[in-house]
Amino acid sequence: MASDNSEDLFSVAMLIDELKNENVQLRLNSIRRLTTIASALGAERTRSELVPFLTDSNDDEDECLLAIAEEMGNLISKVGGPEHVHCLLAPLENLSTVEETVVREKAVESACKVGAAMTSEGITAHFVPAVQRLASGDWFTARISACGMVAVAYEGCPASEAETRSQLRMTYSKLCADETPMVRRAAAQHLGKFAAVCEPENVKGEIMQLFQQLVQDEQDSVRLLAVEDCAALGKLLPREECVAEIVPTVKKFAADKSWRVRYMVAQQLYSLCESVGADLARTELLQSYEQLLMDNEAEVRIASAGNVAAFVQLVGAAAAGAKIVPRVKDLATDQSQHVRAALASCIMGLAPTMGKDQTIDQLLPVFLTLLKDEFPDVRLNIISKLDQVNQVIGVDLLSQELLPAIKDLAEDIHWRVRLAIIEYIPLLASQMGTAFLFQKGEGDKGGELNALCLQWLGDRVHSIREAAAVNLQKLTEVFGAEWACANILPRVMELMSNNHYLYRTTVVRAMTLLASAVGQEVAMRDIMPALKEATKDKVPNVRFAVAKALGEVAAALDPSVVEGEIKPALLELQQDQDVDVRFYAGQSLQLCDAKLSA
Amino acid sequence: MAAAGGTSDLDRMIETLRRCEVLKESEVKLLCSKAMEILVEESNVQRIDSPVTICGDIHGQFYDLMELFKVGGDCPQTNYLFMGDFVDRGFYSVETFLLLLALKVRYPDRIFLIRGNHESRQITQVYGFYDECLRKYGSVNVWRYCTDIFDYLSLSALIDNRILCVHGGLSPTITTVDQIRTIDRKQEVPHDGAMCDLLWSDPEDVTGWGLSPRGAGYLFGGDVCQQFNAANNIDLIARAHQLVMEGYKWMFDEQLVTVWSAPNYCYRCGNVAAIMELDENLGKSFKVFEAAPQEARGVPAKKAAPDYFL
Repeated sequence: MASDNSEDLFSVAMLIDELKNENVQLRLNSIRRLTTIASALGAERTRSELVPFLTDSNDDEDECLLAIAEEMGNLISKVGGPEHVHCLLAPLENLSTVEETVVREKAVESACKVGAAMTSEGITAHFVPAVQRLASGDWFTARISACGMVAVAYEGCPASEAETRSQLRMTYSKLCADETPMVRRAAAQHLGKFAAVCEPENVKGEIMQLFQQLVQDEQDSVRLLAVEDCAALGKLLPREECVAEIVPTVKKFAADKSWRVRYMVAQQLYSLCESVGADLARTELLQSYEQLLMDNEAEVRIASAGNVAAFVQLVGAAAAGAKIVPRVKDLATDQSQHVRAALASCIMGLAPTMGKDQTIDQLLPVFLTLLKDEFPDVRLNIISKLDQVNQVIGVDLLSQELLPAIKDLAEDIHWRVRLAIIEYIPLLASQMGTAFLFQKGEGDKGGELNALCLQWLGDRVHSIREAAAVNLQKLTEVFGAEWACANILPRVMELMSNNHYLYRTTVVRAMTLLASAVGQEVAMRDIMPALKEATKDKVPNVRFAVAKALGEVAAALDPSVVEGEIKPALLELQQDQDVDVRFYAGQSLQLCDAKLSA
Repeated sequence: MAAAGGTSDLDRMIETLRRCEVLKESEVKLLCSKAMEILVEESNVQRIDSPVTICGDIHGQFYDLMELFKVGGDCPQTNYLFMGDFVDRGFYSVETFLLLLALKVRYPDRIFLIRGNHESRQITQVYGFYDECLRKYGSVNVWRYCTDIFDYLSLSALIDNRILCVHGGLSPTITTVDQIRTIDRKQEVPHDGAMCDLLWSDPEDVTGWGLSPRGAGYLFGGDVCQQFNAANNIDLIARAHQLVMEGYKWMFDEQLVTVWSAPNYCYRCGNVAAIMELDENLGKSFKVFEAAPQEARGVPAKKAAPDYFL
């Protein structure tokens, strides 16, 4: 209803004015406020003035058209109830025919929203005719849009209107046979949605006919979309129908001459197998899967290799051992690194299904091959899933290859690879124990991995140094304070003599994290003196790193220690000549005081 | 130091900008007025103590700046000097410049910004910053606040009296560092003269001075650089301004170095980027890095216009 606030009215008048402005930005701003304009105008004037104005506007900026298409869907509540909603269809029908795809898609989306808000009389009187007009449009863009709207029309049209419904089915069947491939694509894309609102007998009859027609389309881009319908239709059909109609189609698709179709099948096959059950999957579809694993096209092999663990679990060890494992062995030496990476990311998942003996006999050689792969992602993917195989056969059998692989990754030139391996170390450690990972090497220097963990603390890249500090903390949480005192702490302290401030701040960070992991006694005996020493560092950045650190360390200490040891150090830092040191010292003091008063 | 209450406001702004989200126009105005108070105190030859990490052009490549911080360390933990060209060409000039500016206001002793040739009203209207402000804010106010700040940015920095840092290079009208100190810098970058040359010149394998193909500044040879460094008792000139595929490039018998910090420049050049870390004894080490991987980049978001209508 019109407000009596003149300022509001003025703003709305300005917005309306700017709907016609030449400046696209201003027009766009106004369009984005269409709901506000409609509220101010009231339902009646929105229907009689605003909507017709938008219907007639011949804006040629796609960005504005897109915005109008979207905002129309938001006006549903502004036009005076369900019996009036149909007035919004006119502008959307226009927008459904434009050339720009995103505008059309948005218009169809809004039109479907509008349809869902209409009464069933409104659907028959307005929505269905609009769909029919679009479906018989001269220009293919209109017919594409019709494909997306038929389902809503059908659902909203009461079952008693058998004639109207039958006409809609006929329309859809015409769209499926349209001369323009783009229209047939849209029809294939929306077939599942349409089937879901059709009566079961019509799904079995007419819809399946359309489906059979689309799966034989000469255009691979149409067949491609029909693959997705397989799973959707499979859910709607009774099981025996599904086996009789869908499964043969899938098998045919799996051998389609277009790799894009086969790729789609590779992605969808597992969910289809799931819906037909393990027995049929074994007898009917396993062979197709085997074919896909051997496909000529790397993309298809990647998509199917990614499903291998799930597939093996579904069909069971016996069938997998005969059909899938031999293919897996081939894939481990595939010429495409991406295929090998996809395989490596899920091959460990085979171990639980295959059981201990088979895993050792058949799969272990594959693991070892992948652990030596020249491509770091492949090795990383194996290492990241070691826990799955550890539960079945233990990792001792892998140990010969594991340490060199970790060492290689630890020194990879790409820092993100180094980061990834560091982040797996605590997991590996908790699975395999100190004895394995940190066995004493020559010269009594602790294990090789031990040396690596310390080496990362001096990495060239800041993110690696940070992660290295966190890693030491996590290892200490796994192995305990005694281990840290013997293997980590003394070496960390040595690094404090580095003559580069960035490396010293990393050491401060590591000491801070370790302090909370080793317990108060060790923290005060072994770490605190070094932190106190660092408060006198000549570089302010190190001093404020310590100031921050002391506040964090205090959280894990007894109040008396905080009072006696931490606070005096911080009070001194609060007199520092550097403003940032003073700031962080102040912040840490507040933390201490909060702890003491709690 | 910022006034009471200012620190938490600034920390909030920095958090927002780190997520690559824009500030409100009113916040930009506030930030710029605080920045002006700090920058006006800085000399044309800003004195900086080592250790500090020296960075070259960024050009609105926000996610690559995040990559730079991942490799070099966050501010304030690491000290930084950025040698100009924060804006233009990349998709996120607004977020990039305002983040660096917010860090400057929050930690004035930890980060230093000097002016590049793109920090100019004229240039930003051609190479993207102006359009980006208009697109993200629906008005040019933010562009005005930022370009006003550009006039206050220092022209060069001198580290431990040994290393002179400047965006472009030398000028035939300048033979001593003291002459840079006498420039009245608070103006739009002029078309010629000392201030223009410092931001536009390039080193080149010529003897003496040459005409620049850029149409502003000069080309200067190794002899010029050698004389300047000797006369002013400095070891090195560090500058940016030119794309180098390896991220950094020594010239003139290690008397000059170019540092370039925009990896895969314009999202298509295929170059790596570098920063130069100086430790507290002026030990140099270069950190080379690549563009941030796709998964570390947000989707370019189309922001709706702010609600200033109603």
